[in-house]
Amino acid sequence: MAAYLLCLTTGGGVPLFSRTKGEIKTLPFAVIGTLNGVHMFASTHNIELLATQTKDAKIAWKVCHGSITLILVTRDDGGSDACLRHLLAAVFDAMVLLVGLDDLINIKNVERLKRELKCCYKLIDCLLDQCNSQVFGDLTGAVDVVLGQENTLLQGALEGFVEYADSTYGCLLVRGKVAVATKKWWGLTGMELVLISLLVSTLPPGSSRDIPVFLPQGSPTVPHRLCTLQLTAGVEACVLCGPAPSLARLSDELARYWRPPYESVRSLAQLHPRNFSHHLRIDPNILGFVLVNTEAHRCLCSVQPRHEDSRREGSNLSYTRRRAILRSFYKHTIGHVYAPPRLKDDPNLGPTDDISERLLHRPQETYMLFDAYKCYSLQTAVYRLFVLYGAQIPHYALRSVTRKTLEILTKDKQVRL
Amino acid sequence: MFSSVSYQTGCQETHASKSGLNLMKFGEMLIQPGTLLQYDWYKSWEGRESLLSILHRNMHHRKLFGLLEEPLLPVQFSSSDVQYKIFVSGRSGVGKTSALAKLSGNEVPTMHSETPGIQTQVVYWPAKLVQTNKIVMFRLHFWDAGDAALKKFDHILPACKENADAVVFHFSFTDRGSFEDLPRHMARIVSPSDNTCKLVLGTKYDQLAHSDVTHQELREFEQQYKIPVLKIANIANYEQSELQTEVHEVAPVLNTLCEYLWRRDQVAAGVLQTERQTDEQRHSDEDQMVLYF
Ligand SMILES: Nc1nc2c(ncn2[C@@H]2O[C@H](COP(=O)(O)OP(=O)(O)OP(=O)(O)O)[C@@H](O)[C@H]2O)c(=O)[nH]1
Ligand SMILES: [Mg+2]
Repeated sequence: MAAYLLCLTTGGGVPLFSRTKGEIKTLPFAVIGTLNGVHMFASTHNIELLATQTKDAKIAWKVCHGSITLILVTRDDGGSDACLRHLLAAVFDAMVLLVGLDDLINIKNVERLKRELKCCYKLIDCLLDQCNSQVFGDLTGAVDVVLGQENTLLQGALEGFVEYADSTYGCLLVRGKVAVATKKWWGLTGMELVLISLLVSTLPPGSSRDIPVFLPQGSPTVPHRLCTLQLTAGVEACVLCGPAPSLARLSDELARYWRPPYESVRSLAQLHPRNFSHHLRIDPNILGFVLVNTEAHRCLCSVQPRHEDSRREGSNLSYTRRRAILRSFYKHTIGHVYAPPRLKDDPNLGPTDDISERLLHRPQETYMLFDAYKCYSLQTAVYRLFVLYGAQIPHYALRSVTRKTLEILTKDKQVRL
Repeated sequence: MFSSVSYQTGCQETHASKSGLNLMKFGEMLIQPGTLLQYDWYKSWEGRESLLSILHRNMHHRKLFGLLEEPLLPVQFSSSDVQYKIFVSGRSGVGKTSALAKLSGNEVPTMHSETPGIQTQVVYWPAKLVQTNKIVMFRLHFWDAGDAALKKFDHILPACKENADAVVFHFSFTDRGSFEDLPRHMARIVSPSDNTCKLVLGTKYDQLAHSDVTHQELREFEQQYKIPVLKIANIANYEQSELQTEVHEVAPVLNTLCEYLWRRDQVAAGVLQTERQTDEQRHSDEDQMVLYF
């Protein structure tokens, strides 16, 4: 999906930065001016221009706190407006995360703000570059997790370590996916959870980090320190803390808390890329799935659900392709069939093209059939499950296998999303 | 929630240099490479066996160690461990994060993305001492801070400097300004009297053709400040062969760094003398040797 993202000051229409995705020319300055111009023209007439559509592209606008205008131009991939709005909200929150709300609202010096925003590029590019992402959190607004078995030991170690850090916010990340977290960590908003995990996985690998972050909803003007410490390849202990203790102190104390459960940490690392415990077995026709817990803001995805290579089972869909199909299925379903998750700062502004808002009932299941694969989804009060099947599964089996899968993934006593 | 981290907003200039240009010697003295460590040892049989502990089985890539892990040298080699903290300093975009990726055997980023805070990396390097023939496993803990973040948030510079054994100042061969700014930059970060090792690392050495810093200038810099200038090319080398792994590219930098750190420890322990001490002796003794044991 090729895309342009433009960021301007709302007051003066001064471009702050622009990002492009895909092999496309940069937008001429005049076009940027026009895109901003129509939006300004509308707002002088008390009209909020939200989105529009050309033959093959979609354009969406978002004004954040009356000071920053974001414009997103993407190829029309059939996704709903809800997904575009979600992406724009995520981009702004990414800016808040690393720069802080104050500097975004009170723009005293545009050149300085431009320089400050540079540190967000990587995270924003990652949000735009959806298909290459290994995770689904950016799309679902629910943070990616791994479901392991030995969680009590790890939970104990985490609680102790977080307490030492004089904090209540901490988690254990396996390649950007949450394995265990403190209660407070789960109290962060879905967007905060997703952005923090994404930030950690976009940074170059390192033994430890100490990154000042502003929580977009919880603490947008007061920074905290996000400290990450690598226990073994791919596994990082993260805490959100105040001025003390220093990163050096945290490293010094690391072994005290994490040496005892070291073997569990190692086996946790092995869960990637399947992402869920090997004792849970699901139907061999399943090539991949995304399971979202909309209440807890957690999502579990896997495109390698089988131990052995499921490509041998008559499907030649690469893992990247599986991810792309699941993303596309999700984007077609949310907004068009299922109601989109509500965004905190984005009260639903009037009608959109999203069919879900015009439906008189709440659809429970939906599916799409293609020559090479089949997609089936169902939702309950809490869960939404999207499953990708190989073509060989008979149509009539889709519903029952999908229901069974939801059962397996949510009813286990030891591991549960 | 909890008390906050302080940070700068608005337009004030932080870390303005209070001390003007300081032309004192920052370093203690230059060491003739190979005086304390055997630079080519890693190519020997014993050296290669030792390198195995920090390499993957295919010998092409470095093993990456979590903070709970460490390499194991073959048991028959009697060895000791030492650890050091090294602060990596320099302008934004000069190549600190890239150099760290190169030195640690990680993938080198091709695009500049500002480091939004502190990022550290542990690098293990086995080396052999000239004097005692002992093998030492150096644990080098590098601390890299994005320059913009360092200026915006007050706690970052002190955290990086605290208990640092060495500071590696970076300049880029393609940015003359970054070279000329070194003395002022060094004066902002360290004082000539403090006990840290100081080294300079020139990045983008592969772009030497576009460089306007001459070797003569580097030599003069070394002599004036008594600080060694090292060079690095933070690019993936596609011509690696069985014997010529990425480790060979970074070995000179790591060896030099370890040699200076080792010397500092020896001076502190009273085993070696500093140049100032030796200067006094030189009046009576016209010996030209650099080091006294
Ligand atoms: N050709 C070449 N490019 C390099 C070299 N070292 C760094 N670069 C490039 O220089 C740019 C900046 O590198 P970084 O390592 O991210 O810079 P930094 O010093 O960490 O910058 P801050 O985190 O902002 O303080 C990147 O685009 C690198 O690819 C080098 O030795 N050769
Ligand atoms: Mg950097």
